[in-house]
Amino acid sequence: MFDEKDVLLEAKHVTRRFPAQGGRELIACNDINLKLYKGKTLGLVGESGCGKSTFMRFLVWLDRPTEGEVIYQGKDITKLKGRELHEMRQHIQMVFQDPSTSFNPKMKIRDIVCEPLLNYGRIRHSQKDQKARELLEMVELPGDFADRFPHNMSGGQRQRVAIARALALEPEIIIMDEATSALDVSVQETIIELVTKLQKEKNITIGFICHNLGFIQSFSHQIAVMYLGNIVEVMPGENMAKICCHPYSKALLDAVFDTKMDFSKKIDPIKGEPPSPLNVPPGCPFQDRCDKCAAICREKRPHLQELSPGHEVACHLFSKEGSV
Amino acid sequence: MALLEINGIDIAYGKQVTVKDCTITLDQAEICSIVGESGSGKTTVIRAVLGLLPGGGKVTKGDIIYDGRSLLSLNAREWRKLRGHDVSMIFQDSGAMMNQTRLIGKSFVEYIRTHEKISKKDAWKKGAEMLGRMRLPDPDRIMHSYPFQLSGGMRQRVGIAMGMTYEPKLLLADEPTSALDVTTQAQIVRQMMELRDEYGTSIIIVTHDIGVASYMGDKIVVMKNGQIEDQGGRKHILEESSNEYTRKLIGAVPSLGGKRYV
Repeated sequence: MFDEKDVLLEAKHVTRRFPAQGGRELIACNDINLKLYKGKTLGLVGESGCGKSTFMRFLVWLDRPTEGEVIYQGKDITKLKGRELHEMRQHIQMVFQDPSTSFNPKMKIRDIVCEPLLNYGRIRHSQKDQKARELLEMVELPGDFADRFPHNMSGGQRQRVAIARALALEPEIIIMDEATSALDVSVQETIIELVTKLQKEKNITIGFICHNLGFIQSFSHQIAVMYLGNIVEVMPGENMAKICCHPYSKALLDAVFDTKMDFSKKIDPIKGEPPSPLNVPPGCPFQDRCDKCAAICREKRPHLQELSPGHEVACHLFSKEGSV
Repeated sequence: MALLEINGIDIAYGKQVTVKDCTITLDQAEICSIVGESGSGKTTVIRAVLGLLPGGGKVTKGDIIYDGRSLLSLNAREWRKLRGHDVSMIFQDSGAMMNQTRLIGKSFVEYIRTHEKISKKDAWKKGAEMLGRMRLPDPDRIMHSYPFQLSGGMRQRVGIAMGMTYEPKLLLADEPTSALDVTTQAQIVRQMMELRDEYGTSIIIVTHDIGVASYMGDKIVVMKNGQIEDQGGRKHILEESSNEYTRKLIGAVPSLGGKRYV
């Protein structure tokens, strides 16, 4: 399903450390290797504070990793500056979580969706009216919305405008940071339908952050599970429920409530909360909450190992060297 | 006899009627989930049960009967006796209901001393014991923490412990898990189910997560634009109901092994 020549963007050994009180270090992302494929969706799941947003922010250059590189079009985009960086930005765009705070409240929708185009000199001011209409119709909103302000619209409509703005420059990659979490389920469904339709039409690559595994598996080609700054499992989106094997991925899956579940089943959530990223224990980051924790897990950190094509897991239980 | 009967109430803010003709009955040890989109009036309904409608909100028609007596005719003293003792509430973020500059223990002591005559020392002990009974690890440390020092899930469990101090017969929960991670959400849901099993508490939970609502609720109420669109047992709502809006809402819930868009 994934062809090496379709790799559009590759993160290699990306690490981000933040300085913390008392000379300590907070490792938000620890040695992350991920690939985004042309026209496919990468879903990144994990609990709050596990570093998933930090990672996605490197891709749109809102932050720079301490170590490692992000290769796009043969260049390490984390080192770009000035004009080159400006040029690169038009290929990678972002949609934020809260559509009510990601717009300037005093700008009209027309100006909001056309601003990126004007920044890159793609259209003239006189063309704004027509272009705004086209963009709004692309996201299935009436063209007359161009005259509105963000506060005149519902959350779902605003999120559509955010998508229109991100797509205005016809980027190759869009990063969506919990773009549907603030919306009702019925609205969430229509947004996802729209996004997947546009993805097929324009062959866009999407990086999607979410913390609901049940939701993200419905539209991702590839899913990465993150825990305390580490990627613990990467797997194809299809049949995810059957093939996922890391204890943490399973725990996340068990925590999903859906309407087709067995209601008589007693839920058995994993205990406690993730430890502070300031003092990650040596060995496996998940050791304290894992019920299959063995001696080796406390000593040696597991690395990602391939189980089958496209399915990698970092857990000693599945280690090829064998014994736990 | 039903524990709580909401009989065809209308709720209005000024002249604007926001909830219309709402009827819900709840038995002892029954859990009722209210689901609906934002702005459908689900929070307004449970706030009315506890007499906590924000400024200008009023029940203009119908009646709310709790344990055989009407709640709408209570005076301030009677309300105070009822709240916290017989009926209590958990909010979306329990940390926000506590004073940020006071220790959780102090807030807890104040809460206990409003409801019974007891020395501060005993109240502190009672609070710590309550946290322990709700299976919170290390109650003493929690009593000595400020709300902002605890994680969201922990704060929510402290909120539940406070609400359960007097073993109320009815617990109202307003989106208790919306701000939490899926794993923490599962912990909170489990804890609330245990309350019913151990103490026989009736619960009304307001949520927009249909998965949680259907797992918890013996009965599900679907609201839309301030009106009850559909209500019934779990099986009825999930499988049998022919209501168009219910079907649409259930269909939109992402489920494992369900519809895939790609």
